[in-house]
Amino acid sequence: MSRSGLGPVRLGIVWQRLNGLMDEVAQAFVRTSFSTVIRENWDLACALLDPRGRQVVQSSRSVPSFIGTMSRTLEAMLAAYPAETLKPGDVLITNDPWVSSGHLNDITMAKPIYRGDRPLGFVASTFHSVDIGGAPSPGARDTYEEGLWIPVRRIVRAGEENEDIVAVIRQNLRQPRETLGDIRAQFAAYDVAERRLMRILDEEGVDDFDAVVEEILERSEQSLRRAIARAPDGEYAGEIVADGVDHPLAIRARVRIAGSDIDIDFTGTSPQVARPINSVVNYTFSWCAFAIKCLFDPDVPNNEGSFRPIRIHVPEGSLLNPRPPAPVWARHLSGHYVPPVIFRALAPILPERAMAESASPIWTVYFKGAQAGGEPFVKMYFMSGGLGARSSLDGPDCRSFPSNISNSPVEVFENAVPVMIHEKTLIDDSGGPGRTRGGLGQRIEFESLSEGPIVMTIRHERVKNPPQGLLGGLAGSRGVNRLNGKDIPAMTQMALGKGDRLAFETPGGGGIGPPAERPRDLVKRDMELGYVSPEAARTVYGWGDAGD
Amino acid sequence: MAGAMPATEYVIGVDVGGTFTDFVGCKLGHGAIFNGKVLTTPDDPSEAVLSGLARMLSAHGIDPAAVRYVIHGTTLVANALIERKGVKTALITSKGFRDVLEIGREYRYDTYDLFIDMPRPLVPRNLRFEVDERMDREGRVVRPLDLHAAERLARELAASDVRAVAVAFLHAYRSAVHEREMQDILARFAPRLTVSLSSEVVPQIGEYERSSTTVANAYVKPIFETYVGRLSEGLRRLGIGRDLYLVLSDGGTVDRKTAAAHPVRLVHSGPAGGAQAAALYGRLGGADRVLAFDMGGTTAKACLIEEGRPNRTTEVEIARLARFKPGSGIPLRVPIVNMIEIGAGGGSIARVNSLGLVQVGPDSSGAKPGPACYALGGVEPTVTDADLVLGYLDAGSFLGGEMALDVAAARRALHDRVAAPLGLSVEEAALGVFQTVNEGMAQAAAIHALEQGKRIVDFALVAIGGAGPVHAWALARALGIGRLISPLGAGVASAFGFLAAPTAFEATRTRLTPLAAVEASGTRSLVDELAGHGLALLERSGESRAPARIDVFAAMRYVGQGYEVETPLPRELVESGDQDGLARRFEAAYRLLFGRTEVGFPVEIVSWRVIVSGPVPAIVPAIPEGLALVGKPAGKGVRAVYFAEAGGFVDTPVFNRYALEPGFSAEGPLVVEERESTLVVPPQSRLSIDASRNAIVAL
Repeated sequence: MSRSGLGPVRLGIVWQRLNGLMDEVAQAFVRTSFSTVIRENWDLACALLDPRGRQVVQSSRSVPSFIGTMSRTLEAMLAAYPAETLKPGDVLITNDPWVSSGHLNDITMAKPIYRGDRPLGFVASTFHSVDIGGAPSPGARDTYEEGLWIPVRRIVRAGEENEDIVAVIRQNLRQPRETLGDIRAQFAAYDVAERRLMRILDEEGVDDFDAVVEEILERSEQSLRRAIARAPDGEYAGEIVADGVDHPLAIRARVRIAGSDIDIDFTGTSPQVARPINSVVNYTFSWCAFAIKCLFDPDVPNNEGSFRPIRIHVPEGSLLNPRPPAPVWARHLSGHYVPPVIFRALAPILPERAMAESASPIWTVYFKGAQAGGEPFVKMYFMSGGLGARSSLDGPDCRSFPSNISNSPVEVFENAVPVMIHEKTLIDDSGGPGRTRGGLGQRIEFESLSEGPIVMTIRHERVKNPPQGLLGGLAGSRGVNRLNGKDIPAMTQMALGKGDRLAFETPGGGGIGPPAERPRDLVKRDMELGYVSPEAARTVYGWGDAGD
Repeated sequence: MAGAMPATEYVIGVDVGGTFTDFVGCKLGHGAIFNGKVLTTPDDPSEAVLSGLARMLSAHGIDPAAVRYVIHGTTLVANALIERKGVKTALITSKGFRDVLEIGREYRYDTYDLFIDMPRPLVPRNLRFEVDERMDREGRVVRPLDLHAAERLARELAASDVRAVAVAFLHAYRSAVHEREMQDILARFAPRLTVSLSSEVVPQIGEYERSSTTVANAYVKPIFETYVGRLSEGLRRLGIGRDLYLVLSDGGTVDRKTAAAHPVRLVHSGPAGGAQAAALYGRLGGADRVLAFDMGGTTAKACLIEEGRPNRTTEVEIARLARFKPGSGIPLRVPIVNMIEIGAGGGSIARVNSLGLVQVGPDSSGAKPGPACYALGGVEPTVTDADLVLGYLDAGSFLGGEMALDVAAARRALHDRVAAPLGLSVEEAALGVFQTVNEGMAQAAAIHALEQGKRIVDFALVAIGGAGPVHAWALARALGIGRLISPLGAGVASAFGFLAAPTAFEATRTRLTPLAAVEASGTRSLVDELAGHGLALLERSGESRAPARIDVFAAMRYVGQGYEVETPLPRELVESGDQDGLARRFEAAYRLLFGRTEVGFPVEIVSWRVIVSGPVPAIVPAIPEGLALVGKPAGKGVRAVYFAEAGGFVDTPVFNRYALEPGFSAEGPLVVEERESTLVVPPQSRLSIDASRNAIVAL
């Protein structure tokens, strides 16, 4: 009999219901939220944790960068407010990048749940607030410049909002209404969680919830361990060179597989920099867990059990484990290199799971200005490049990776911001050549229509170092940033005048295997559809050499 | 109306499905008089429709001249898109945007799967053309259409083997001027081509989804026109003088010409009929809020019905690479019944997953080899195998006894793949499969309701499909639903639903208005305008104006939120424009949903929706002639059926559905068998048969 005493069938039902519960909590939050980043990008995660702060269940539609961070956040919360000092109706809050998920924009809250007077666990959520005050910019030198830093505090005390904390938030934000609206939307979602959780436990006759938790974690851990154990033991190294801001940065990983354990050591990675691209260790860990899950066990649930086989070591002061108060606003510019460097390290032993480098970190451009009527706006536009080739498949064109964010329709964006978009097309020959080819990047051109200035901010990677191929495949094309036809730096904040034209070319994904081995019918198709030019077909793929 | 009207008139519903073409015939003002099936003829579906019709008419001695109308639903459009059997199609876009159709929305439909592939666009890159033109966001011309380039392109297309063209320019939802100019040029220089304009097919913001829908429309239009032309001609040959009506994806009924202009709107024509049928059964069973639950061989579908109308949406996806993953298919923006589909059917395969737990679906054993108990070579256990082992199904009465089920094979499959690996008995494993699949469906239905802002416990459950009535009781209990309705003859529900739907037209208008700015004259004129539009269409469709019903809804929210709560408004509130009254209606709807209201937050109205519907057709379901047994014993004996709440197998009475007459009532547990399905009535519930021979279970 299993540890929980429920047996596999009942346990499965209870677990399924807990999963559904967290999805309902997320749905309740999204439907009552006040910001587009929540309802359109689902930049959030909701989780159920046990009294010890171990994550049991996470909402299924969560962004991957929140995998596993809530356990660590709750641990820090409980260090400040020991569990026995908490009362029913309390809600804790923090956005401390070092205990939460890596930048001030991510706010995490947790509420203890009781069954009678016995603590049952916590419902928690992390969400992205576009406005967090301060002046986040590519030039930020420390965290303080990047906005309001909220330590672990009680935002609700025994059901009463803590007006002191709320007032501080209200005072420090430019659009507090939106962020406070989202915060309160989560209070409502927590109520849903409490009610539904009690109902599930009552209906399923679960008395010993701890035992259920133990078994959920245990089974998740074993699932991932079995998958890891099938890979050969050994130590495998990968390295990627990132453009960086002032100088190139090395991302180095040594991945050691021993039985069913994986250790990832980032020693050798460049030190932290006084630019907002440092990835706190929680964020680094999330992307490690993401990479391991993708490679070994894509269906394993996101909970403490499935994190146990993974250990990471990152020297303090590293780009991937900076000391406070390092600037961290654009932490994805280093963190998004974590999955590809792990893929690169393990490609020789898992060639069938291999994926070449993609056009990540994701490209975004911020536009800040005022509408003709004087109303201010701040809008972000996401642009993806090509995905890396896979061992058996070409890389899809223009896909978000490793994050998973959809673009804004051109028509919707033009309605929100006084710009006109003149082009959004695939770039021929941008996919890294190989037996399987990398995905294509895209060219996008904006023109400012605004009488007043529009402040444009970009922070792009892969302009000097394009996504590399794997196992004999070649690199994709590098990214390009241009203003009125002239190249501009990839980390820029500048004012656009009316009629200025801003153009971007996102990178192409890397290829896998020697291009000469690409099936001829695919080379032919690529030429017919214009993905590959006749010249590149001849020079890179050897088209025409052997009676094609 | 000219000419002598025959004394009796008939209406006939025809549903062309993948395997069977179903027919239901009704005497106007009475119940169904026949139903039947013939095999679908995939190469030309009109063949089966016409030959089947001829057979039904002659078998029942019906004069073709007495047929008032034939209402038709078809999977032709969906199949052409799924199987990519449309015509060679080109796309013309604004300069700089020919790749929008391929780039799509840039997200991955599975975050953790490194091996996803994206769907191929219906129009390949070498058939996507750009012409110089541009509108701004207000629909003002920034650059006029380059007429020379447009003419050159039209001539080029005329000389090619392209048969259809989709035109999708930026901001065409605001101004159709350039698209119409392009259409004129195509008409002049390439008259042979069928043209679809995005401003006509789907005048909605969002260039990717609008282009995708317009392309899909162009792609299927020529084959659809050929098909309905052939059908119409065939009906005339049969002596049926009236024209053909077709069923749209939102359940609405339109004439042939309207349908042929935008065939993409028929993409879910068949399933819409099922929802309409469920609406009718709910209405007859006295439930105005219904969760329609259709569980077949490979999937389960669910949709919510309120006040006799299936809830609608405008977003759907077809031809998914991964069936249950949004984003893996071709997005379409068409009015459509809001339906979820999950991988849970009688054929869904059960296994032990890597967590050591029972997992059911989403893959299915299909028709071949099918469940292990079909004894057609299937070795994997399925939901049907579990249902058989638990006694819900009987080995000897499946499909009216035409197909014997192999209990030993079902037990063996469950033993080998589930029971033995988990150390369970075969019965425990079967129960595990049964409960797991039910829980998955319950969650999907609960989230579906929440997404639409509804509370599922307020609904009655109408079960259709072969496996629906077997699982409905357990699903209802999991959802906290107290009432289950199981109609008779649910096997041809779609075709029947076509006949049951009132002719209805919906008009919506986005008009963002703070509640504080609402005034009576504004709301009244807007609602009158929308209603007038619907009334005109209704009149044109041949329905008289007098009995039309008008329903008004306002989509409202707190200022700053992105989702609205649709609030039904009584006529007097629309007339008075009373702000407090509107606020109270909204808050009541909001509190019901989220358990709280936001004190002091201003409220706004985002959009209005007005539905104008004709009279509900006077059609009542009845057992087709020859099937009803009157005065015959209903009892078929007793068999052992498993109920967890009773602690295991219970000797359970079995009844013949066709012999249960109105007024019959009994306590569960019991089992009621009909040809296509079996209704399971659990302990602590009561079954009663109503006047329309619906089975009602109070749980």
